[in-house]
Amino acid sequence: MCSEVLMMTKLDLTDGGSMTSEMQNSAAGNAAAGISIRDLNVYYKGLHVLKGINIEIEPKKITVMMGPSGCGKSTLVRVLNRMNDEVEGFRHTGQVMLDGKDVYDKDVDPVLLKTRVGMVFQKPNPFPISIYENVAFGPRIHKIFRSKQQLDECVKDSLQKAALWEEVKDRLKENAMKLSGGQQQRLCIARTLAVKPEVILLDEPASALDPGSASKIEELMVELKRSFTVVLVTHNMQQAARVATKVIFLYKGDIVETGEAPGIFENPTKELTEKYIRGQLV
Amino acid sequence: MTESNLATVTEVVMPWQDSRVKSNYRRRQILDKVMKVLALIAVVVVLFPLLDMLYLFAYKGLSVLSISILTETTSGGGTGSSTGGIENAIVGSCLLIGLSSLIAVPLGVFSGVYLAEFTSLHNKFAEAIRFISDVLAGVPSIVLGYVGFLAFVLYLHWGYSAMASAVTLSILMLPYIIRTTELSIRRVPDSIREGAIALGSTKSSMINRLTLRFALPGIITGVMLAVSISFSETAPLLYTADFNNYLPTALFHQPVGFLTYIVYVYSNLPYQSAHNLAYAASFVLLSFVFVVNLFARVVLKRFSKI
Amino acid sequence: MPKTPLTDQVYKYLTALLCCSAILFIFIIALVLIKYSYPSFAVWGLNFFTTTVWNPALNGNIIYKYGIAYMSGSSYGMLVFFFGTLASSGIAILLGVPTSLAIAIFLTQVAPRRIVAPISFLVELLAGIPSVVLGFWGLLVLGPFLLHSLEPAMSTYLGWIPLFSGHVYSYGFIASGLILALMIVPIVASISRDVMAQTPTELKEGAKALGSTNWEITRKVVLPYARTGIFGAVILGLGRALGETMAVAMVSGFAHYLPTSLYSAINTMAAEMALSLDGSFTDPSGMYVSALVELAVVLLVITMIVNVVARAFVKQGFVRSAEGVIRV
Repeated sequence: MCSEVLMMTKLDLTDGGSMTSEMQNSAAGNAAAGISIRDLNVYYKGLHVLKGINIEIEPKKITVMMGPSGCGKSTLVRVLNRMNDEVEGFRHTGQVMLDGKDVYDKDVDPVLLKTRVGMVFQKPNPFPISIYENVAFGPRIHKIFRSKQQLDECVKDSLQKAALWEEVKDRLKENAMKLSGGQQQRLCIARTLAVKPEVILLDEPASALDPGSASKIEELMVELKRSFTVVLVTHNMQQAARVATKVIFLYKGDIVETGEAPGIFENPTKELTEKYIRGQLV
Repeated sequence: MTESNLATVTEVVMPWQDSRVKSNYRRRQILDKVMKVLALIAVVVVLFPLLDMLYLFAYKGLSVLSISILTETTSGGGTGSSTGGIENAIVGSCLLIGLSSLIAVPLGVFSGVYLAEFTSLHNKFAEAIRFISDVLAGVPSIVLGYVGFLAFVLYLHWGYSAMASAVTLSILMLPYIIRTTELSIRRVPDSIREGAIALGSTKSSMINRLTLRFALPGIITGVMLAVSISFSETAPLLYTADFNNYLPTALFHQPVGFLTYIVYVYSNLPYQSAHNLAYAASFVLLSFVFVVNLFARVVLKRFSKI
Repeated sequence: MPKTPLTDQVYKYLTALLCCSAILFIFIIALVLIKYSYPSFAVWGLNFFTTTVWNPALNGNIIYKYGIAYMSGSSYGMLVFFFGTLASSGIAILLGVPTSLAIAIFLTQVAPRRIVAPISFLVELLAGIPSVVLGFWGLLVLGPFLLHSLEPAMSTYLGWIPLFSGHVYSYGFIASGLILALMIVPIVASISRDVMAQTPTELKEGAKALGSTNWEITRKVVLPYARTGIFGAVILGLGRALGETMAVAMVSGFAHYLPTSLYSAINTMAAEMALSLDGSFTDPSGMYVSALVELAVVLLVITMIVNVVARAFVKQGFVRSAEGVIRV
């Protein structure tokens, strides 16, 4: 994590083995807070899009939202980092508690919130600037670092965590648009990591990629959950079965069922869930 | 994945807790608000003259407007002895627009048809025509006025006349009409064309009956905007139409009065009666522009949804 | 191979012929301008471009050079007008471009959706105002405002800068610059707004998800993306300002000497052409007319170059892909 660079001690712990998991936790910073959603209702211009949602998103786990198109999973995810704020006609009731505090509280700033809850989109959207500049974008605007050296370290660290460093370390100045789709998406993940979030939201991050790149992203997510809280929206049931800790099924704004993976795929308790798994719900 | 060097015991500061990031954020917030305000100020600064103008000329124009202003000619109107009117100017402007449209519209529309229907986008001839059209559009109107004066008034010996002005104005209008016609026709989906050909229609019949019908709102918009532009022009007319205190009676060898001349000249004369005529002329001009713009941009947009 | 029906062939060739009207017009323009400006080019040569003296010397005798008649003691130099054109257009760009960008930003990033359409309509309406009406407004409202409010204020507070000191007039440099600025704003703002609106939403969302403020999104994502198109719009606006005649003719002050301060009277090539042509008929040698036509040629060449460059940028600005065309 970039913050460690600020306070390097003489202890060199790269062997990993001498660290207890507790030390690993605190060393990773106060990362990975959990989110509690209580009685959330969302309305778009009067249309009731999310109905009475209650979810516990646990830290350092992958929570997957699934459901047919229009079930509200994307809306739900965007509520978590307040991307919906400026959408016309958006109204909500209920609470979204990040680490014990409602993100919609008056004194919570939506802009700073986004450094705690990061988002990766379905279509990779790197800026048409250099790879380095893409990752440095967040730290630069928030002025997180005092020196170029710290920024360099952060960029390297983020790219490493996104499993992209080895592929781009010699061409950081190259334009990001020259990367392949899978690489671009990993770049977007690196970019999100650079502002040191606690929660990472991924809205169908692999659906626009080829299977090889998609599986790389899946590996990445499993690795990321060790340090972050991961919320994933996906259509792909195999993907969910592979990576999820917890699965939440949504249908037309309601939670149909929540459960642990992979058990829930094999034994769904609700009929709607079973229909969706069988591909009978679109 | 490689791990970076990890520190242990000391407290780690997250960006959203870092006071430096927070105070920097306050600065960013202020900057954001300042920019919003500046943008708003810019809009106000620009719209103020516009609204001031519209109000001023509507108010003053309406207050001097009367049947006599519209039905008398300017003879004597500038010298303060009698009020006079702008009838000759209104009729003159309309005559000039009518004549120049008669020339520019067929030329422009059918040129646009040729470019859109019979050439591909990269055809050499078409690209040349488009380039020439762009060049024509960029000719300053006073230069065009000079050309009209030298070519038609002098060289062809037409003298200051309605025809000299009309041809000059049609050069002004032509590029706009060509461009908007070509764009409107290209917007008509190919599926319509294919349907017609599949029914055995000839290309020319298809164009006339079908394509032009669908492209018509766009074409009319282009023509109306071109008309609006030339109605408001002065420089091309100064030395081709000169000015005439009486109603036009001939197309050659006779100067023609026009509205913009009244605003140009009478605004500077030291008589209130002259100023009144200038207000009246401004009012007529602005009304025309306003109505044409409203119609072209708003009403016709509704019809052009194919 | 099926034969194209006769009607189709006739149609095709007839419309192609009508296209040639554009070519015909260009020819007329070129021929006429060259024919009537040639005397002035031949007699004055390079001096036309380097002298400030513009003196028709109408009361002199006719003398000859290369067989071309002109008045003895006359001298035609376009420098005053050239400077006036550049300077007034310069002020127009200096004041107009930031304002236009601010308006475009307002319309695409700041304004609530409902007022975007009416405000856009009003801005475009400004483009349609006849320039003589703008000039009239300049005489009625802007002039007195400059004379009684703005210029005295500028003189008092900024008078220590040489440009800002001097006698205050209502017509001249500032008035022309301001009116021209007002005229180019609709063009630059509309095109900039259109190019900026094309910024892909995903780029803006990506920046927003990283915690950018609205202004940061505008500055770091939208403006760089729209940069080519905006540049083209600015050059188009410049082309308009260079060729603008009537409003400037009404508020410029009709000077024949270089301005000494921001308040002095100026003259532009276009305004001089509009104001002096009828006076030039009294020149028995015809040189006055020819000199004015040479002025027209110079103005035409300058605006043509500017417009061609501008259109290239605007086209590229709209066609650009996000493939890293712009180097940040």
